[in-house]
Amino acid sequence: MSEKAINWTEKYRPGNFSEVEGQEQAVFLLKDFLKKFFSGGNKAVIIHGPPGTGKTSLAFAAANENKAELFELNASDLRDREKLREILRPATEQKSLTKKNKIILVDEVDGISETDKGGLLELLALAESSAYPLVITANDIWDRKFTALRKKSDMIQLKEIDYKTIKNIMISILRKEKKFLDMDILTNISVKARGDLRAAINDLQTASGMQKPEEIIFDERNKELDIFSALRMIFKGKPTESMLQLFDSVNMPIDEIMLWIEENIPAEYSGEELARAINALSRVDIFKKRIYRQQYWRFLIYENALLSYGISSAKKNASQKTGFTNYKKPTRILKIWLNNQRTEQKKSIASKYSQHVHIGEKRAMREFPMIKPFLLNPEIQKELRLSEEEVEYLQK
Amino acid sequence: MASEIWTEKYRPSKFEEVVGQDNTVKKVQSLTNSLNIPHLLFAGPAGTGKSTLALITVKELFGKNWHENYLELNASDERGINVVREKVKNFARTKSIGNVPFKIIFLDEADALTPEAQQALRRTMENYSATCRFVLSCNYSSKIIDPIQSRCAIFRFKLLEKKDIEKIIRKIEGGEKLTISPDALELIYEGSEGDCRRCINILQSTASISPSINYELVSTIISNAKPKDIHVVLDYAISGDFQKAKEKLLDVMLKESISGQDVIKSIQKEIWNLPVEPEIKVKLTEKTGEAEFRIVEGSDPFIQLQSLLASFVLAGLGK
Repeated sequence: MSEKAINWTEKYRPGNFSEVEGQEQAVFLLKDFLKKFFSGGNKAVIIHGPPGTGKTSLAFAAANENKAELFELNASDLRDREKLREILRPATEQKSLTKKNKIILVDEVDGISETDKGGLLELLALAESSAYPLVITANDIWDRKFTALRKKSDMIQLKEIDYKTIKNIMISILRKEKKFLDMDILTNISVKARGDLRAAINDLQTASGMQKPEEIIFDERNKELDIFSALRMIFKGKPTESMLQLFDSVNMPIDEIMLWIEENIPAEYSGEELARAINALSRVDIFKKRIYRQQYWRFLIYENALLSYGISSAKKNASQKTGFTNYKKPTRILKIWLNNQRTEQKKSIASKYSQHVHIGEKRAMREFPMIKPFLLNPEIQKELRLSEEEVEYLQK
Repeated sequence: MASEIWTEKYRPSKFEEVVGQDNTVKKVQSLTNSLNIPHLLFAGPAGTGKSTLALITVKELFGKNWHENYLELNASDERGINVVREKVKNFARTKSIGNVPFKIIFLDEADALTPEAQQALRRTMENYSATCRFVLSCNYSSKIIDPIQSRCAIFRFKLLEKKDIEKIIRKIEGGEKLTISPDALELIYEGSEGDCRRCINILQSTASISPSINYELVSTIISNAKPKDIHVVLDYAISGDFQKAKEKLLDVMLKESISGQDVIKSIQKEIWNLPVEPEIKVKLTEKTGEAEFRIVEGSDPFIQLQSLLASFVLAGLGK
C-alpha cells in the first residue's frame, strides 16, 4: 500500500489513552468503568456524542491499554439475532479457552431500528451478563428505545472538540507528515469542522495534497444541527447571511429555540450587548404575537432573522467570541409547571371565595395576599367549605 | 346564616344603605320601583358598589325568590363568549317566577370581553330581551362597544370619598367591637384607594390580629400584602447582576401570581427611588412605557420585562 493511500484518520488514531486529545473527562470515566468492571460494576458503557469526537477511538485505546482483543460488532450484525448469539456468546462464555482479555465493541448502536426488538433485547441481555467489558457507541442515545439500555450502562458523553484543539492536532499531524499549510486554511478547516475531528483531518489530508491549497474553501458538511451547535454559532460566531437559514437545520420548533436562546443570553452577553440581544428577542416575541393574531405567516421571516442574525449581531462590532460556554436547558417552563402545582390549592380557595363574595376569580387571586390573614379564621374556612388540603395550604 | 366575611356581612341590602353613590342609587331605585328596567350598564372603579346595587335591585324585585331569577357571570373568568351564551341560554329558557316579567343577568367585568365577543353578546342580549334584562358592569364604559352602550341605560359609579369610607369603617368598628385609632383610619383610607372592598378587607385582616387597631398594625398588613420584591429585582439589575434579577423576577411573578402589567406598575413607581441621575430616571420611565406597550403587543410578558431589566443594568452603569 502506498503511503498516500493511508487514511490519516486511521493512521493517527490514538493508540492509547494518553494520545486521546480533548476528551480528558471521558478518558477518566472510561478508565473508571474498566477498573470497576471486575468488581461488580456495570457490564456496559455507552460512549455517546456527535460524529468525529472520538467514540470509536476511545474503544480502540481502551483495548490497547488493557492488552485486550477488540471484538467489534456493527449495527448490521446486531440486526440478526441468530448471528449475534453465534458471535457473542462464544466470545463471552469461552473465557477459559482464550487467555487473552477481550473488549466487545458495539459501534453506532443508533442503527438498530425500533422494530428490531430482537437485536435490542440481545444487546440488553449482553449488557447484563457480559463476561467482558462491553463498549457501546452512539451519536444519540436519548431515544426512548434505549431507555432500558441506558439504565444498565455507565454513560460517557463526548463533547464536540473545540476548534483550537482540532487546529493543534492538525499542526502536529502536518509536522509528522513534513507538510506545510497556511495558518488561515487551518483555521478555516478547524472552524468549519464544528467539533468533528475526523472531518477536519479528512479535509486536512485533501488540502495538503493540493497544488494550491489556499484556493480550497470547503463546503460545510450539511448535517442536522443540535441546539447546542446552533447556540454556539449564534452567540460565538460572526453574524453571516447563511445564519438566516440556521434554524432550518435544527430539529426543534422555533418557540422552543426561543426559550433556549432566552435562557442562555445572560451567559454570553452583558451590558449593552445584553440589552441589544434581549431587545431583538423582544421584537421576535412581538412578531410571534402578530402571526398568532393575524394568522399572517410571512412574519415568520422576521421572527427567524431577528432570532438568529439579530441576536448574533448584538455583539460588539459584530465580532467573534471565544471560549467554551456550557449552555443550559430552558428552565422557565419547568418552573411555571412546578409553581402551578403549588398554586393549585390557592386557586381553588380563590375560586370558592370569589363565588361567595360576588367577584371574579382573577380578582380574588389578585386580592389573595390581602384576604389571607382572615381566611385563617376557622369559621370562615367552614363557611367557604374549604377542604383539608386547602386549610393546610393556608396554614403554611 | 350571616357571613363571617365582612365584605358580605356588611354588604348593603337596601338602597338606603348604599354609601357614596347617591344619584345613581336614586335613579336605579326609581326604575326598580316602577318595574320598568332596561338593560343597565354600571361603569366605575372596583369596589364602588356595582355588584351590590345589582344585588339590591334583584332582591327588591324578586324578594326571597331572587336566587332563581338571577344569574351572575364574570366575563374575565368564563372561557369565551360561547360559554357565556350557553349559560345565558339555559338560564333564559325558563320563565321568571313571581310578578316580574323578566329575569336578571349580571355580567361582571364585561370590559374583559374583546370587541368581537361583545358583538356576539349584543346578539344574545337581543335574542333574550323578552325574558331577560342584562346588567353589565365595567371599569371603563369606553371599552364597551357603542351598539351595546346604546342599548343600555348607563350609570356611573365614582370612587368613594374619605367621608364615605370613614362611615363604613365606623359602622364595622361598632358592629365588631373594635377600636380604631384616627391615624389608623387615615391609613386604611389611603390603602383602600377608594375601593370599599379593599378597605373592608384591610380592616378584617388587621382585626384578625387584634381588635384594637393602630397605625403600625395596619401598616404591617398593607405592606405584607404588597408585592415587595420588585425593588429587590431592580436592586440586582442596577448593581449589574442581570441573571439574579431575572431569576428573582420569575420567582416573584410565579409565587405572587402577578401579571406582567402589575410588575410594570410597581417598576414604574420604584424608578423614582433609584440611586440614579434624574435624566436616567426619565430614560427608564420611557423604557418602562415602551415595555408596557410591548407587553400589550407581544405574547410573552416575561421576555419584555427582561428587556426592561437590561435597560436597568445599563442605567446602573450610568448609561
